[in-house]
Amino acid sequence: MKILPFKLPFALSFLFCFFSVAINFSACASDAEQAKASLERLSKSLRQLNFNTSFVVVKNNQAEPYHWLHGVVDVKSEGENNSEAKIELEILALLNGPRRDILRVGNTVSYIEPEYAPYSITSAQISGPIPAVLGRDVSVLHDNYHFVSVGKSRVLGRAAQLIRIVPKDTHRYGYWLWLDKDSGLLLKLAVVTRKGQLLEQIQFTHLEISDNASENLKQLSVTDLPKVIELSAKDDNTQLAWQVNWLPRGFKEVKSDRHRITNSKQAVEFMLFNDGLIDISVYVNPSQEKQRPIEYAQDGATIVLNNVENNIEVSVVGKIPLSSAKKIVNSLSFTQTTIN
Amino acid sequence: MSEIKFEAISSLVDNYHDSAQETEQVIDEILDDEHLSTTWQQYHLIGDVIRDEVSSALQLDLSSQIAEAIADEPSILAPIASSKVFKEQNAIKAKIVQLIKPVGQLAIAASAAGLMIIGVQQNTADTGEVITPSQVVQTKPLAGFANPVSFNYSQNSQSQQKQAVLEQRIKQQRRFQALLSDHQQQVKLSAVKATKVEKEAISTSTK
Repeated sequence: MKILPFKLPFALSFLFCFFSVAINFSACASDAEQAKASLERLSKSLRQLNFNTSFVVVKNNQAEPYHWLHGVVDVKSEGENNSEAKIELEILALLNGPRRDILRVGNTVSYIEPEYAPYSITSAQISGPIPAVLGRDVSVLHDNYHFVSVGKSRVLGRAAQLIRIVPKDTHRYGYWLWLDKDSGLLLKLAVVTRKGQLLEQIQFTHLEISDNASENLKQLSVTDLPKVIELSAKDDNTQLAWQVNWLPRGFKEVKSDRHRITNSKQAVEFMLFNDGLIDISVYVNPSQEKQRPIEYAQDGATIVLNNVENNIEVSVVGKIPLSSAKKIVNSLSFTQTTIN
Repeated sequence: MSEIKFEAISSLVDNYHDSAQETEQVIDEILDDEHLSTTWQQYHLIGDVIRDEVSSALQLDLSSQIAEAIADEPSILAPIASSKVFKEQNAIKAKIVQLIKPVGQLAIAASAAGLMIIGVQQNTADTGEVITPSQVVQTKPLAGFANPVSFNYSQNSQSQQKQAVLEQRIKQQRRFQALLSDHQQQVKLSAVKATKVEKEAISTSTK
């Protein structure tokens, strides 16, 4: 009888604890669910809305301004039943310096750049400063990243929801996204280290959403695009005399080939890896130098790292921390002692 | 005097001339004087540009020419510096920066021409690895520095070293830029495959 007064509060507090944990847990789960829903909405908005927007990429104390237009128009398909189909139109233009424009009509993307003659490729996504996956199926990121809905703030004069894409390991960076509550579109994006240090950010400076695609885009739909270059899949899987033995989990080989670097005319053996969000390039080529210690440069979140050992130059490029890049370089093994 | 001549050329270019004799005289002068003939050329070019008649083949792409000229320059005959010297060089980097500034500016013009990345910060000091001197370095052991020589000499060799360091920096910068732009290019091209895979996935799921 005497014990009871003690036991009851104990039991109660235990129960209380249990409930609070359960509530906490469900809160976490709903956070993740909410974050996922927001990202899915972003993906949908990026594909379906007509928007006219400007943003600035800030990295290394520099700002690169871009203008980005997207729209969806109806086109009469040339199929037998003359049905109307919707195609996406997109223009992304760098506003400072030499012209760098990316145009997209449906599944054709054209790049206009100072280094190359204009060309087109068959692709449903443009490769710009904004990760292409945000407009595609974000669920591919589940294996390697957590989605966390963090809180609300005000960005670009609009109510925004902050979503974090947090890597599950320490070998890559996190992405913070501020999404418009109204339209679901991106208002700001930041690439941050695990410790929360900001490396690179994209701040939108203007956003206009309209019911119809803008005039510029409609003109684009009737413009002749540069010739589509055909890339044969065969070239994408060249057997190389070396391999990468360590990569952060979830990176898959996209391609391996031999090509010449345009700027330096250097012939290289090349492998490209991707985890859904970021790309890592590995280059191997013979060098005239015998030995050179690791050197690296950082362009925003992108690291360019390179060293020479035993007359073989190895380089790694990608939005990964220095430690990961070093680890990749050190993991290379060669099936032959010298490559040629 | 020459200003009068320039004016005469200008009016000739614009097809205004006073008398046949005067015109002939001016033309003769132009033909004799190299300076005047370039002026003649330039005025025509200016006129073409103003009238928007420049052919698309004409490209004033100086950047590539500068880059080429630099690449073609004979390498500077500097003593090959050892790793120790490099470290000392880093320590007095601030001073070097002042001294190499004129050359540095040219280098930046050339290296920035190709690409959009400019603000690359370089980190070579904290790699935490001991720089093992290569074979080449060991066979030429600091010939210039061991000798106690005149003030002038040591100055000279120092500036040569600075040149060597600078050359290395420029080379390194170029390497990084070339890699970065190639990486971006490869990512763009890889989108083709991603789209193919996506399409296949859709077509198999609908089957």
